[in-house]
Amino acid sequence: MDVRTRRLLFLAAPGLAFLFVFLFLPLVSVVVYSFWRTASYEMIAEWNVDNYVTLLTEGTYLTFLWRSLVMATVVTAVSVVYAWPVAYLIAKHGGRYKLILVLLTAAPFLTGEILRITALQQILGPIGVINMGLTSFGIAPVEALMYSSTATGIGLSYLWMPFMVLAVYLSLLNFDFELMEVAKVNGARPLRAFIEIAWPLNRAGTAIGCVLVFIPTLGSSVTSQFLGGPNGALYGNILAHQFGATGTWALGSAMGVVLFGLSALLIALVVRVVGDFRRSGLTMSGR
Amino acid sequence: MRGTFSIQVQLLALLYLFLYAPIAYVIYVSFQKDSVWPFPPDFTLEHYADLLHLRDFHAALVNSLTIGIGTGLLSALLATIAAIGVLRYASRWRGLVAAAYLAPLFIAHLLIGIASLMFNKQLLGLPGNIGSAILANTTYATAFAFLVVLAQLAKHDWRLDEAAMVFGAPPLRAFWSVTLPLIWPSVLGAVIVSFLLAFNNLEVTFYQVGARPTLPTLAWGELRHGVSEELYALASLINAAIFLFLGALYVLLRTGALRLDYRD
Repeated sequence: MDVRTRRLLFLAAPGLAFLFVFLFLPLVSVVVYSFWRTASYEMIAEWNVDNYVTLLTEGTYLTFLWRSLVMATVVTAVSVVYAWPVAYLIAKHGGRYKLILVLLTAAPFLTGEILRITALQQILGPIGVINMGLTSFGIAPVEALMYSSTATGIGLSYLWMPFMVLAVYLSLLNFDFELMEVAKVNGARPLRAFIEIAWPLNRAGTAIGCVLVFIPTLGSSVTSQFLGGPNGALYGNILAHQFGATGTWALGSAMGVVLFGLSALLIALVVRVVGDFRRSGLTMSGR
Repeated sequence: MRGTFSIQVQLLALLYLFLYAPIAYVIYVSFQKDSVWPFPPDFTLEHYADLLHLRDFHAALVNSLTIGIGTGLLSALLATIAAIGVLRYASRWRGLVAAAYLAPLFIAHLLIGIASLMFNKQLLGLPGNIGSAILANTTYATAFAFLVVLAQLAKHDWRLDEAAMVFGAPPLRAFWSVTLPLIWPSVLGAVIVSFLLAFNNLEVTFYQVGARPTLPTLAWGELRHGVSEELYALASLINAAIFLFLGALYVLLRTGALRLDYRD
């Protein structure tokens, strides 16, 4: 081992050890417990695959998983479509205000999930300002905003869109906008220049943004709990339920393994498709 | 082309509106007698007075601050030394080390929460407490802190540190009197970001603290019992504190009282 590697590992060791003990081992224990069973709130070490059989055969779990997958896909897609023009604008025309403009999109993230949902409920809910406003003018309230999947979708976009803006922005910082001009000089229309130059050169950054939006959305529970209403429960709600009232930790663990497996699968897929992350702006190799 | 530009500007304006209007509205409502339809305005401070009597409010504030500060310091420490290692030593392992530090960004918080809960209770036999909440929050907070330090230090000139060592300073001394005085604003940034994330975290903290209240779990409980007015006061206070703080930080940076890039 050369001296640089030894020094690097020396400095990184405390954090790596920390993550190993407090993140990796707990995640491994989830896998282990998913093969146990629970009886009256106690975990019993009897190895079995019943939890997975339950997940696959009782339709409800798959239904909720499917719902979460659709929700995560839609929220991610909406985020990409919205974040791209915004990030492009800031990166290209932001000038000396670039940093503050992009940080303004990220700042609300720091106020935390629960406060942001509190705020959204006050806007979207049945007694939220939009519907109260409509009713006070004698207009019928918008059903879609009250305790619905649409409200959950709006809430999740609200929570995670900043990640997409940041990821695309970071990627565009390493992008040479002159290339777009060159394309246009050579006769490409804006859309064509975007499809053939801007998009492919920034797809690694966009892919990272997609993963950063998709994964928390897939595992979300609080947003749908407060904005989704009685019929708006997602996979995360059912998962959290196993650790709350029902106390079926083993089944909950299996649900966690499925969630983690899907996330890992997505990351593997993205790495496979994108391949080279050097242009994403998240690595130090830049351009 | 002008058309595309103005659409982009409108989209950006709409995004800011989307992000900030709910927060601004909650602050407005927190000062209103009627929280359901507060028009025309009828100002009052009674929700803030009620907040002071809210059960567990003070304990929650202390707990949240403890979790925030503990996580902030621990994450920034772990992240800073690792970021220095990754930036300074061009080993072929550095990509892997960086990936390990960033991996927690790609794990749902709910999963971190339940995994820590079960690991602590089943394997270590520990009931959850504030300490375990700090440890669980530090996992993902370190990833954010690492990103912050990495971005700030990418331009650091490590020859200064080499110079100190060439002139006989032992590595720790060189770090203390040359590196740290130059990079402390980045470290502070990492502390602030991880403090705020842990202070406001619900999904990880919830599974660690048991019955002990934190501000987010208190807000969660309030939200479950339907719309409550003191909750708006609570949300407004926290939001206002965070934005005032970030605003002050920005002003300090702009005026040069605090500098992030020492080479400016």
